[in-house]
Amino acid sequence: MNLNPSHLNLSRYEGCTITGALAVSAFIPDALTVVHGPAGCAHHNLSLLHATLLQQDRLFLPPVFSTGLREPDIIFGGEDALQRTIERALERKPRAVCVISTCIAETIGDDTDAVCGRDWGVPVIHLHSSGFLGGSFNEGFVNALKRIAGLVPPAETRDGGINIVGEKNLEFEVEENFEEVARLLGVLDLDVNVRFVRNETVDDISRFSAGCLNILREPALDPIGRHFQEAFAQPYLSGFPVGLQGTREFLRAVGEACGSAADEAIAAEESLQDELSAEFADLDGEAISLSPFGFQCPEFSLLSEVAEAIGLRIDPEGTEIPVPFGAPVGTAGIRRMLHQWRRFLHA
Amino acid sequence: MKQIALYGKGGIGKSTTSANLSAALADTGLDIMQIGCDPKHDSTRMLMHGTWIPTVLDLVREKGDERISADQVVFKGYRGIRCVEAGGPEPGVGCAGRGIIATFQLLERLDALHGDVIVYDVLGDVVCGGFAMPMREGYAQEIYLVTSGELMSLYAANNICKAIARLSRRVRSKCALGGVICNSANIAEENVLVEEFARRINSRLIAYVPRDRIVQVAEINRQTVIEYAPDSAQAGVYRALAAGVLEITNTDLTIPTPLEMDELESLALEFV
Repeated sequence: MNLNPSHLNLSRYEGCTITGALAVSAFIPDALTVVHGPAGCAHHNLSLLHATLLQQDRLFLPPVFSTGLREPDIIFGGEDALQRTIERALERKPRAVCVISTCIAETIGDDTDAVCGRDWGVPVIHLHSSGFLGGSFNEGFVNALKRIAGLVPPAETRDGGINIVGEKNLEFEVEENFEEVARLLGVLDLDVNVRFVRNETVDDISRFSAGCLNILREPALDPIGRHFQEAFAQPYLSGFPVGLQGTREFLRAVGEACGSAADEAIAAEESLQDELSAEFADLDGEAISLSPFGFQCPEFSLLSEVAEAIGLRIDPEGTEIPVPFGAPVGTAGIRRMLHQWRRFLHA
Repeated sequence: MKQIALYGKGGIGKSTTSANLSAALADTGLDIMQIGCDPKHDSTRMLMHGTWIPTVLDLVREKGDERISADQVVFKGYRGIRCVEAGGPEPGVGCAGRGIIATFQLLERLDALHGDVIVYDVLGDVVCGGFAMPMREGYAQEIYLVTSGELMSLYAANNICKAIARLSRRVRSKCALGGVICNSANIAEENVLVEEFARRINSRLIAYVPRDRIVQVAEINRQTVIEYAPDSAQAGVYRALAAGVLEITNTDLTIPTPLEMDELESLALEFV
């Protein structure tokens, strides 16, 4: 399971920075993305995005422009091509343009910042994405979030509710995970302010600084949490709720951060969790073994916590259960996971 | 066909030496081509009587490389020497090294690389893979280092030796060091110093070109010394250089053994 952001862990911590940047910029509906590099950089990364989402039955093909660099642009510099492509993108009247730079643009020393910094009438944001400087999907993703934070003006009040930061736009259960967090916040009588960045417009994003707390999708986004803490004095929580006890602790942490009592909410959540053992009573006494698929880490206390709560034994001889690709979020995530376990056990 | 490349520190006189070498070779009746491989594109100017010929990369920029013909990039100068300038991007942008690679690929496609001798006049420092292009892919097979006795000039020549030694380790490498040309900076015992440098890098001094005012006078008159003052002593020096280069055969070529910086410094110290 992917809680440990080590480089051995998962493709998210490998791969290309461009894909990471695109997995952010493509989810601002009124912004356009320009990939400053050869046509293949845009094509390949957009295809990857498209194919990943299609696999989840989501049809999504955001408009992405490419500067389409060719050999003469490499020899003479690609800044003119970038300028022309930004102009072309602006014809569609976007509220912002995200420029994703590539390895070759950085290698030949194109001053992408200078081109983006001209007075274009709307924000043109440079997302640094040359993979040869180090980094992976995750760095591209985090850097893009940081740069897009530049769209956010300082706010005078902190009454805007809770910001959700760095949702994994490409993960299968992205909406279910958000809904679970929103449900838990609702139990505490708190609202979501801005989803940074998932299907929020440039105007929506500008309300970010009015949020009273930032909840990060996962601990790997801590640099972003610290960034906003410094920029807007917003506290942050490092990740979405994970595990039965973890979900209750999440409620307590949010309550503390927002100055609201959480005891009642925690008690309600605990009884909701108790209902799980009744719902999955048919699994009581069964034996399971956790299969890591060869690359996922099975040493994960969440899984044994859930198994114990339901009365499942973890035994090498038991039915093989795949370790989930991402940790299930909240009580609802655990419930979905248990449904899956039941299918394996009763197959 | 003999293909030679002159490398050396910027401002050391590569272009003057190359142009006079080409002119002297052409005087013997050989079919000569000179290719300037420096974004400054001033290699062939004296052979072209002061004309700045359009560079290959200027044409690529204007027309795209599909619509260029050989007669648009190859210009005939003194005694029919075919002159080409690679050119490059505006200073400070783009990638000049890639420009050199593109130029060679274009010349190859246009079938423009032919003659008895092709002289490649290359930018001072082999700053990247692109500027090593004349040494690669079997283009220039003989490298000549142009240097004075000044330490930084020897340092640059020594760096080029590193590039040759590195490239020579490649399986299909055909390039090796032909020799060292001393272009004098009026330093005492300079020829002895450069000769010793050449010996220590496993090469030989093939010509000592003294400093002579006639070079500047010819340049002001937009000609090589060979053309402007054929009877001068300096013209004789260049003719001797040409004869020396023609005499170099494959068995004379060496893989250089570059010096460490402290070896280079102690060598220079011996001659202070």
